[in-house]
Amino acid sequence: MASGGIKGYYRQRKSSVSKFASKSKSKPKSSTKISSKAAASLGSDRVQPSALISHGSLDLQGDYDESEELLRQFDMDMAYGPCIGMRRLDRWERANSLGMDPPKKVGDLLRGGKVGLECLWDGRV
Amino acid sequence: MGVMEIDTAKNLQRKQSLYQNLDEKYGIHKEQYRGQQYSHMYFTRLHHMRNLLYSLVKKWKPHLPVCKVLGLEEGKECIIVGTLYKHMKLKPTILDEYSKERSAVPLVKSHNFMHPEDYLVLEDESGRVKLGGTLLEPSLFVTGLVVALHGKETTTGQFLVQDIHEAGLPSQIELPLDSREDKYVIFVSGLSVGSTTSNPLQLQLLVDHITGHLGDEKEQSIASLIVRVVIAGNSVEIPQGLLNGQILVSKDQSRLSEPIKELDILLTQLAVAVPLDIMPGPNDPANFSLPQQPLHRCLFPGASAYNTFMSCTNPHSFEVDDIRFLGTSGQNIDDIAKYSEAKSNLDFMERTLRWRHIAPTAPNTLGCYPFTDRDPFFIENCPHIYFVGNQRKYETCLFRGLEGQLVRLIAIPKFCETGVAIALNMRNLECHALSFSTKLDS
Repeated sequence: MASGGIKGYYRQRKSSVSKFASKSKSKPKSSTKISSKAAASLGSDRVQPSALISHGSLDLQGDYDESEELLRQFDMDMAYGPCIGMRRLDRWERANSLGMDPPKKVGDLLRGGKVGLECLWDGRV
Repeated sequence: MGVMEIDTAKNLQRKQSLYQNLDEKYGIHKEQYRGQQYSHMYFTRLHHMRNLLYSLVKKWKPHLPVCKVLGLEEGKECIIVGTLYKHMKLKPTILDEYSKERSAVPLVKSHNFMHPEDYLVLEDESGRVKLGGTLLEPSLFVTGLVVALHGKETTTGQFLVQDIHEAGLPSQIELPLDSREDKYVIFVSGLSVGSTTSNPLQLQLLVDHITGHLGDEKEQSIASLIVRVVIAGNSVEIPQGLLNGQILVSKDQSRLSEPIKELDILLTQLAVAVPLDIMPGPNDPANFSLPQQPLHRCLFPGASAYNTFMSCTNPHSFEVDDIRFLGTSGQNIDDIAKYSEAKSNLDFMERTLRWRHIAPTAPNTLGCYPFTDRDPFFIENCPHIYFVGNQRKYETCLFRGLEGQLVRLIAIPKFCETGVAIALNMRNLECHALSFSTKLDS
């Protein structure tokens, strides 16, 4: 999902490299600058790689919906450990038994059964 | 000529003891393999040990902040907790097989892969940082243990270590020793039945001594104090030459099973007389990776008919009369010895206890099942006896922990090479060697 906005992906101005660059030039990417310290714990708006955009049409929705988006956030969250090789529900159960308090909504969704039970990377890695 | 009198006056009773098998966490029959890799094991290991270390660090250096690797700031003194990784120049990698140039140095050395240029890296889920400074000597550490480090980040991006805190020994249930009676547990390993170095007469001597068929009354009364026998791995040696991929003719097939049949006869003799635990070892017909699963009952049709026969996992954890035992068949210590150094193998055993993990090098260099939700090699309760089988020689010492824990460390030698079994007295945790020799000239 191109939640950063189209301007975030297409640079409007050349990024200034020379030493004489005037400070008045505003950086086009300032709105999407991420603090490097917290980068490792992010998972939110960079789920969809920009390669999907570069082919011309924007794949705004893809083939998944809001609940899948929530589950993907759960997959990507580093605090609960790696997600590859485990079913989502098993990983939720593990996080629960280790006392990490995973979001209850994710657990309910997974037990509901209408959502994808395998992790984001299943079959792709 | 007088008639020989058979002494029917005394019937010696063998002492009894309460036994509880604690091998449940080493079983893998309930696990389902879903294609996972080892990252989950490292994750659970880090999670458990980090929680433990966070609580210990509060008492150790309460004034210092604790942060993750990515949260390190230059010059700021703090504590980080993570998994140690040791970068080793000589550690064999599978990629060496594909390298176009082959150097004169052989690709794999058999003994030790240490090099003066090895360095340590600390890693957690946010990142890794190279460890600098002179406090940590890389030759004393291995990959896979979780520690807390006090130090600060330098300008070069390394972490200068000022102090280290290991997990330490877990708590131990105190035992009222010396108020009990003499009871012995016999440890033996490396019987290697079927190998060229094993001596059947020596094995028979061992079995006869334990079952009380040897010696006079005094000797037999000593043998009646034996309450358990633990065989710590490498009980058979199957002739490897047969397993070269060719189809086995029936003559070779019987040669394959001869060692196990011979072992079964010995074990039946033992099981009739005394409760017996047998653990698989590196050469036994069990799975390769740790935790090794119990040797199957069908291998021992004679011995498994008795309820005194217990086939156990490797590592093996059990309790006899409330004394907790923990031990392996040697793979964990042998692997640590390849990647670090110490004066004796007892030092390695001590270190694994202080690191609170019996096999930190699993799954890095020691084969291991990819658990997803637990790390079974984490030591939860401090054992009273910690044994390791298939070592070069018999060594033992008493190790004291900081909170008054008392552990007897035993390195059990290979019986086929030394003829030595170990007898442990449960009353005072003292042990001595039982040496069997069949040489008539010494």
